[in-house]
Amino acid sequence: MAEPVASVENLVKRYDGVAAVDGLSFEVQRGEIFAILGPNGAGKTTTIEILECITQPTAGSVSVLGNSVTASRGADEVKKRIGVLPQKFGGIGRLTIAENLKFFAAMYDKSVEVMGLLDSLEIRDKAKVRFADLSEGLKRRVGIAIALVNDPDLIFLDEPTSDLDPEPRRTTWKVIADLRAKGKTIVLATHYVDEAQRLADRIGILRGGKIIALDTPAELLGKFGGGKAVIFRGGGDAVFGTLRRFFDTVSMDGSDVVLPFDRLRDLEVAFAALVDRGLEVEVALRSPTMEDVFLRLTGLKTSDSGEAN
Amino acid sequence: MLFSFLFPVALLLVLGTIYGNSGSSNHMVGQDTASYYLPGLTAAFIMANGVIGLTRISSELKRDGVLRRLSATPLTKLEWLLGTFLSQIVLAFALAAVMLTLGVALYNASGLVNVYSMVLLFLGALLFSGVGMSLAGLVKDPEVASGLGEAITYPMMLLSGTFWPIGSMPSYLQTVAQALPLTYFADGLRNSMVSADLTDFVVVAIFALVLVLLGARFTPWNES
Repeated sequence: MAEPVASVENLVKRYDGVAAVDGLSFEVQRGEIFAILGPNGAGKTTTIEILECITQPTAGSVSVLGNSVTASRGADEVKKRIGVLPQKFGGIGRLTIAENLKFFAAMYDKSVEVMGLLDSLEIRDKAKVRFADLSEGLKRRVGIAIALVNDPDLIFLDEPTSDLDPEPRRTTWKVIADLRAKGKTIVLATHYVDEAQRLADRIGILRGGKIIALDTPAELLGKFGGGKAVIFRGGGDAVFGTLRRFFDTVSMDGSDVVLPFDRLRDLEVAFAALVDRGLEVEVALRSPTMEDVFLRLTGLKTSDSGEAN
Repeated sequence: MLFSFLFPVALLLVLGTIYGNSGSSNHMVGQDTASYYLPGLTAAFIMANGVIGLTRISSELKRDGVLRRLSATPLTKLEWLLGTFLSQIVLAFALAAVMLTLGVALYNASGLVNVYSMVLLFLGALLFSGVGMSLAGLVKDPEVASGLGEAITYPMMLLSGTFWPIGSMPSYLQTVAQALPLTYFADGLRNSMVSADLTDFVVVAIFALVLVLLGARFTPWNES
């Protein structure tokens, strides 16, 4: 197994005695997108800032790209080789995109050619537009460009699509996926469940400063998703009563009847029972989603836009 | 930019025109009008640049996550602070140069170009940059921060003898003026043409030291 790009062991961070992060342990593998998913206040930004070496841990050991973050030499090394997009990044509003990129590139000994970077993110035609005049989606894209000026192998993105409309969100997702295709490793902090599911190779669900689950989306869905179910819409007591005779696991959700199942045989039995009784009812299939996983694990509902609250 | 240079220049022209350049004007206690206003306005607008201009810029950079982004680069906090102070010092000298050129050309003003006044300009720029950086660091919203900056700048300008001599104010206001850094900065610049008054210099230097340290302390960066 290759060296992890970052490893965190029993990380604790306290502010005024209150633990924002309380015993976190995880590793980030090379070339993956690792999502830290959790509601606001869960400790995502704190964790990311410790990995970025802009905040010091209270306890625990953290190593990024082979360097310990608590050693000052180590922190300096890390900063040369990582890219960072902070939350709600607004750039230097008065400067143009090109000027912003050149400014940040000047912070590093080695940086990529700015125009090439603009090309690769398809924003070359806007090079002379002031940052403050850009749309929200473009601001994020330029923010990601700024995170790439030193050609980092490890990139931290803190809520890269928050407050974006659906279209720029999708575009930003594509940009992030392209980065992984180029071999970059990405640590993504988000409170969007769908974003984590869509982009991440592995998700660490964070709540109250602790990781409550860490796995690939598929495994999380399998373990905590609750499995597939058939929904008999408006089935009511009649359908419920019929199925109850065969299945313990059937439940009601309002007037809908929900029947979890594993095998097709279960369905065969269920449908036969209903047809036998002459019950006609609308049928829908429900597959487990990350929202289900999240709800089960944290007890928190997600809003309509898929945000964890 | 406009505010930084046009406003003080315009004021110098207006005031110089209104009060003329006669040394015997009762208004100005025996000094040339331009020689009174030139250093006074220069000092006042170095203050404004630091306490309003820099406050707004720094506050916006903080709000927009630029400081956070920079603290994740190899740039150190010291380098950032030095760069900020240096830019304000350059701005202060540029303003002084513009004002002096005008003053010499139009009003036969003299002075402002000796070692003492240059050190004073340097210290004054530092002093008010420190105020600006402190405000930006302490207040979250750029509008509020620069609003506070304005609330400090304009009264201080009025009370420190920029537009009228301190002696012409009621005594309780004169007492207030004695507590304001701009009073010493402006007086120091005025007197630099005649004789270096050590009191002004020492007061400005101490204020500058304190405010630079506060500005550095309140500028958010790494926690290390």
